[in-house]
Amino acid sequence: MAGLTIEFSDQRLPNGLRLVIAEDHVAPVVAVNIWYGVGSKHEVPGKTGFAHLFEHVMFQGSANVTKAEHIGLIQAVGGTMNGTTWLDRTNYFETVPSHQLELVLWLEADRMGTLLDALSQENLDNQREVVKNEKRWSYDNRPYGSWVERILGGIFPPEHPYHHPTIGSMADLDAASLEDVSAFFRTHYAPNNAVLSVVGDVDPARVRAWVKRYFGGIAPNPSLPVALGDLSLPPTLGGEARETVVEQVPLPRIYWGFRAPVFGDPRLDALDLAGQILAGGKGSRLHRRLVREEQLAQDVSLFSLGLIGGASVTAGWATARPGVDLERLEAAYWEELQRLATDPPSADELARAKALTEADELGSLQRVEERADRLSMYATLFDDPGVVNEMLPRYLAVTAEQVRDACRAVFRIDNRYVLTYLPGLASGDAEAAA
Amino acid sequence: MSPTRGVVGARRPVAGVARPYRFPPFTRTRLANGLSVVSVDLRSRPLLAGVLVVPGGAGDDPEAEAGATVLMARALSEGTEGYDAIALVEATERLGASLHAEAGWDAVSVSVDVPSERLPAALDLVAEVAARPTFPAGDVDRLRDERLNDILQAHADPRRRAEEAFAETIYASSSPYRHSAGGTRETVERLSSKETRRALARRFDPGAMTLIVGGDLTGLDVHALAADRFGDWRPDPAATPPLTVDASPASIVRAVRVVHRPGAVQTEIRIGHPGLPRRHADFHAVAVMSAILGGLFNSRLNRKLREEKGYTYGASAGFDLRRSAGPFAARAAVNTDVTVPAVEDMLAELEAIRMLAPGDDELRAARDYLVGVFPLRFETPAAVVGALSGLVIQGLPDDELARYRPAIEAVTADDVLAAARAHVRPAEAAIVLVGDADAFLPALESSGFGPISVDREAIASPEVSDVEGD
Repeated sequence: MAGLTIEFSDQRLPNGLRLVIAEDHVAPVVAVNIWYGVGSKHEVPGKTGFAHLFEHVMFQGSANVTKAEHIGLIQAVGGTMNGTTWLDRTNYFETVPSHQLELVLWLEADRMGTLLDALSQENLDNQREVVKNEKRWSYDNRPYGSWVERILGGIFPPEHPYHHPTIGSMADLDAASLEDVSAFFRTHYAPNNAVLSVVGDVDPARVRAWVKRYFGGIAPNPSLPVALGDLSLPPTLGGEARETVVEQVPLPRIYWGFRAPVFGDPRLDALDLAGQILAGGKGSRLHRRLVREEQLAQDVSLFSLGLIGGASVTAGWATARPGVDLERLEAAYWEELQRLATDPPSADELARAKALTEADELGSLQRVEERADRLSMYATLFDDPGVVNEMLPRYLAVTAEQVRDACRAVFRIDNRYVLTYLPGLASGDAEAAA
Repeated sequence: MSPTRGVVGARRPVAGVARPYRFPPFTRTRLANGLSVVSVDLRSRPLLAGVLVVPGGAGDDPEAEAGATVLMARALSEGTEGYDAIALVEATERLGASLHAEAGWDAVSVSVDVPSERLPAALDLVAEVAARPTFPAGDVDRLRDERLNDILQAHADPRRRAEEAFAETIYASSSPYRHSAGGTRETVERLSSKETRRALARRFDPGAMTLIVGGDLTGLDVHALAADRFGDWRPDPAATPPLTVDASPASIVRAVRVVHRPGAVQTEIRIGHPGLPRRHADFHAVAVMSAILGGLFNSRLNRKLREEKGYTYGASAGFDLRRSAGPFAARAAVNTDVTVPAVEDMLAELEAIRMLAPGDDELRAARDYLVGVFPLRFETPAAVVGALSGLVIQGLPDDELARYRPAIEAVTADDVLAAARAHVRPAEAAIVLVGDADAFLPALESSGFGPISVDREAIASPEVSDVEGD
């Protein structure tokens, strides 16, 4: 089907703020999305979880906005909003009826310019407790909830900033101070570290005028970008690592983690298609063999998390059916990865994977919120919002041999981290056997 | 050094002029056999969404076969007269389509997303799974075992365990809402392809079904496409209209139920009782009331428990609206040591909203949110088609969505108060706590919330299950 090309404009204000605008008048809505080039990879030892805690503080008010009023105002105009933190970045986004755009720009500018005017110990303490409860809810009080932390810890060496997860540790959250918040803001929350995308039912000239009015007076931080040191890594782990965790889980589950090429590397595109072929739905190889035919697994998955600093992560899992021999499950899963690393997928299999990828892309890009997020993402990570129009052609150009070669490079015994959860009452420490 | 990066200006922008919005117009036709066809043309939306709605869901499973309809829906795509399961999924994927069948409490839906030029081929597949499934015994058994394993997993997950315990606490034993739509271990263990076949036959009446297609329909005649594929369907002799689901409450006296999870770092709290059915004169007032109580970010519950106290990542309240009275629940997951104070705060908010009408600002914020967010919800064909299928499933009139915004605008503070008094009843609520009972039982016992029962159950593990072997 006809590809969808997103037309956009791309400019910088004198203070360094990058502004990307894309018009779409299908519905009377507009999405605003700011990516700041700061993520948990900028955290230093003893201060893990800070980028995310800071994201919460961004909703606690600024010079002209009171605590939680940002969200209240957006919701009161019939909008939706949120913020998220990840290893490479932090983003903030709102979707509102298009006649409310100016308010959103003002709100984002007010916190970029004046957050510290409203900062208080009380609000920091409150959000610290909220974040600790977020950690309990999302990770600690959830079956298999520690897998992200364990996989990142296994794929990245301790000195690498991807080694620790975005949520951080309870002790570090407890130690975060007002001074930390101020320093973090001064360093990272500057217009020359941000991309602002505005997508939807807008008049670009008016958007530019509003952005200039509200953001134009915010001073840049001349000492950006922050040097992170050399994040490059060897392409593989250099040896197999294994870990077994006994926890209150209902069924055993085997997780897999692999070091993979960085986001932007065409081999990661090929791995995305490999993920589709191996575990993308009921027709996929792992599902067919493990769930349907041999009935070893309750569910299977395999996917890649694209990262720009040294390596990405390809990860997956299989939940064992009760009574299943875990060695057999592990061997069968591994065999399927090896099969794709040995022989290219059939033309039909690759064509189906591409058709599904195309439908996914088109489905996602129908929403202005997703389009704004992608424009900000590609501008932040690759200095080029236009990558939004290149991804689908790139996926469609991947060959069967490239899928095989990418799998061969990644699915190696000396590049795998195998994490097994076993049911049991002995909650607690992992038994490492590297 | 000043902390400020720059002055943005205290003057708050005022809103521009709103572009008029109306819910996308749709047309409804009928095939000769009575099947309704609804189409909604959304220009520049090339990825179409379609759904075949078949009334009758998990709510009318015979009690001994609870879960049969959910299992049936999952098994529809396990093989048809024309395709085995793998051939079907491959044919779907070649279209770049996704095909999905599922059952809720009130209906079974077969839905498809597909690029516009491949709609005819995708509707062929919808017809195939809806009218010609073969329910292969081995595959139905496998899906049944997967469901049994899922029950194990639900039991071990604090959130799902809390929802389970809450439903079985608030509904009478005569109500199917007492368990999950997918059935219980006892009922699911007995299901086989025979029950799935029966579950489909019971509701196979084209005169009761509706096909809804939305997206850029340029060059597509949805009625003709439907007539070619569904026009020769006849009612199954076993077809019967859906039953009215029994939603009787278990009790009208407040009581506390604790599900003990040793060492849990949080307590999952559910407080509530059976609510109201979707078709109810108070619907719009309840929507506004529920936004104020526990829907908005600055709702009373979230403001108190999260933004003031820091007890939780989020507190909310809401009604699960079904054809019969689905549950009303206030929800939060709080750190273990504040379990009892958190319940106190939640009960206090449930009482407060019944005592006094909301102020103007609070009322306006809730109404404006619901009115303003309405167009945002319908950006994609799948969302528009989903809203229309909701109308069909709930038996609502065609102008319900067009009427929504004016009806919300008209809700007054007194309407909110009346809705709270009628539909939020803390004195009759069950309080369900899934967490480390040993850490909060003494405080709970002196709280006076009501009589307390504690489940100290074994943690489910495969060793105690008897699911193996097929």
